[in-house]
Amino acid sequence: MPNIAVFIEQRAGQIKQVAWQMLSEARHLVDAHGGEVWGVHWHAADCDVSTTAGRYGAHKVVTATAPEFERYDSELWTQALAQFVQQHKPDLLLIGSTAMGKDLAPRLAARLRTACISDAVGLSWEDGLVVKRPVYAGKCFAHVTARSVCPVVGIRPNAFALRETGDTAAAVVFKPVLDASRARASVTAVETAAAGKAALTEAEIVVSGGRGIKGPENYRLIEDLAGALGAAAGASRAIVDAGWVDYSHQVGQTGKTVAPNLYVACGISGAIQHLAGMSSSKCIVAINKDPAAPIFKVADYGIAGDLFAVLPALTEAVREFKR
Amino acid sequence: MKIAVCVKQVPDSEVRLNLPGPVPELDRSAFTMVINPYDQFAVEEAVRIKERLGHGDITAVTVGPAAKVREMLKKDCLAVGCDRAVIVDDAALAGADPLAVAEVLAAVLRRDRYDLVLCGIKAIDDDSSQVGVMLAELLDWPHVGYIGSLDITGDGLTARREIEGGVEVVASPLPCVLTCGKGLNEPRLPSLPNIMKAGMKPVEVIDCAGLGLTPPAPLTAVKEYTPPPPRGACVMITADDDAAAARELARRLHEEAKII
Ligand SMILES: Cc1cc2nc3c(=O)[nH]c(=O)nc-3n(C[C@H](O)[C@H](O)[C@H](O)COP(=O)(O)OP(=O)(O)OC[C@H]3O[C@@H](n4cnc5c(N)ncnc54)[C@H](O)[C@@H]3O)c2cc1C
Ligand SMILES: Nc1ncnc2c1ncn2[C@@H]1O[C@H](COP(=O)(O)O)[C@@H](O)[C@H]1O
Repeated sequence: MPNIAVFIEQRAGQIKQVAWQMLSEARHLVDAHGGEVWGVHWHAADCDVSTTAGRYGAHKVVTATAPEFERYDSELWTQALAQFVQQHKPDLLLIGSTAMGKDLAPRLAARLRTACISDAVGLSWEDGLVVKRPVYAGKCFAHVTARSVCPVVGIRPNAFALRETGDTAAAVVFKPVLDASRARASVTAVETAAAGKAALTEAEIVVSGGRGIKGPENYRLIEDLAGALGAAAGASRAIVDAGWVDYSHQVGQTGKTVAPNLYVACGISGAIQHLAGMSSSKCIVAINKDPAAPIFKVADYGIAGDLFAVLPALTEAVREFKR
Repeated sequence: MKIAVCVKQVPDSEVRLNLPGPVPELDRSAFTMVINPYDQFAVEEAVRIKERLGHGDITAVTVGPAAKVREMLKKDCLAVGCDRAVIVDDAALAGADPLAVAEVLAAVLRRDRYDLVLCGIKAIDDDSSQVGVMLAELLDWPHVGYIGSLDITGDGLTARREIEGGVEVVASPLPCVLTCGKGLNEPRLPSLPNIMKAGMKPVEVIDCAGLGLTPPAPLTAVKEYTPPPPRGACVMITADDDAAAARELARRLHEEAKII
């Protein structure tokens, strides 16, 4: 009979989509096993997330407002979440495996001396919690159990579908006592990427280019298709190492792990280290002139053709459908 | 500046698992073992910091069986610029989870007192991304994660780290734990003479008792490993020419897959 708490992350006032995904999944779990879903959220200014959180399944939302919550600080966020856990005693705490979540979850778990399991893609409740997560870069799944009260589980963005099964959530005020003198590493500036560029790890569609694009000037073909699809642009390591695009675009074992609804691999051979970062995408399209390229083994749709002919036509056709 | 780098030995990224079905344990005996690729960035960064400052002492620390990790420490750490190494080898740590490993590393780091600790952002076997952050918490130090660039300034540092849709600039006092990813630097390769010389550098092997530590019990356990679900066969789209194939693909993504 678990009570599941979900951390509703906001950055610069924007709430991460993974928060609603976690609430949806948590609600699904408690509907089968009893218990409640609690959102936990804070902000620098008053902000009511209880309507949306309720819609995705939260029974109540515990909210705090304080000027310290303007900008992420691992120490202050850990203090607040630790106090939330101590006061409300959930049986499980879910945190999105985002840049913030990966910083916050292990620190919180170490402070509370509780189990920490990251990048989960499945949750079940058998005799207790069982967490499914990819290991060995997605080559298999580990099914992990925890031996402590209130394990902290990180949830991979896009792993769970949104379900509007809830109603309105009750808002509960929470007043953490923050000791700002303990904050040490602090964010002094935030540089935002150009507007309209979707973040790779959160995008619903990713279009990636590999060495098949022949040179940096042709990455534009990838960006054009991405633009038409409203997608983020990714890359293989080969073209990152060649200096054609920035490392922030790299998908794979030593790059980003993505699990979008659609992944389009263009001129990418499908090396095991690249597959590590994208093989759990829901639909995979491969465009490669070599019909024997390993990428076709994981693809759902393939074109064995020249990307220089395929991509412009595909971009145009997508624009047609969107019109 | 006294720097520690935490390195883990992991199966090579080419390793194939080919699980027949659910198994309680992975048989790791046939795997080729290498230094965790992210830890190479951490080692390289430590060496560059020492080179830039013109002084410093770098210790590579690993938790793992001495007989297996020695060669990695020599070739990938000592031969590229680390000054010494510590191996924590204890059979009681066989099922250690990230928090248990962090507790063991924290015991070493407390004993020897460092100014800076560098880790990789994650180990490519368990893919946890936890040990570095937990280590910072156990030492009661700040942590800056996923750093893309680093500037050490006297008693503090400034680092840039990527977040969704941008970059954060973070300032931290020392001591501090940093977790390193790709893009930070290009790790150098060890030269043969340096590998020879590395054999002379001190390597300490110690167990939990030697550190005054009861082996920490893991709080998580793997019940079983399962293979990824099989994917259906790829639908190859053929048409008169590439442009027609592209249009057909768009139609299918729209009508069948309903993605666009
Ligand atoms: C420890 C380690 C970590 C790694 N991490 C990563 C990682 O995170 N991400 C990653 O991607 N790689 C990673 N790699 C590298 C990986 O092994 C491959 O080298 C890399 O993915 C290859 O990139 P590619 O597919 O772009 O290039 P190639 O393998 O060179 O493939 C290019 C493809 O383009 C096709 N092509 C050429 N011309 C055309 C055309 N006109 N039209 C259509 N298709 C065309 C070719 O048929 C070929 O299949 C890692 C390797 C190691 C050892
Ligand atoms: N057994 C270990 N020995 C030394 N360092 C480790 C060990 N396990 C993990 N680390 C460090 O912690 C980082 C993150 O590991 P993980 O949390 O397991 O993904 C690695 O890149 C290493 O720097």
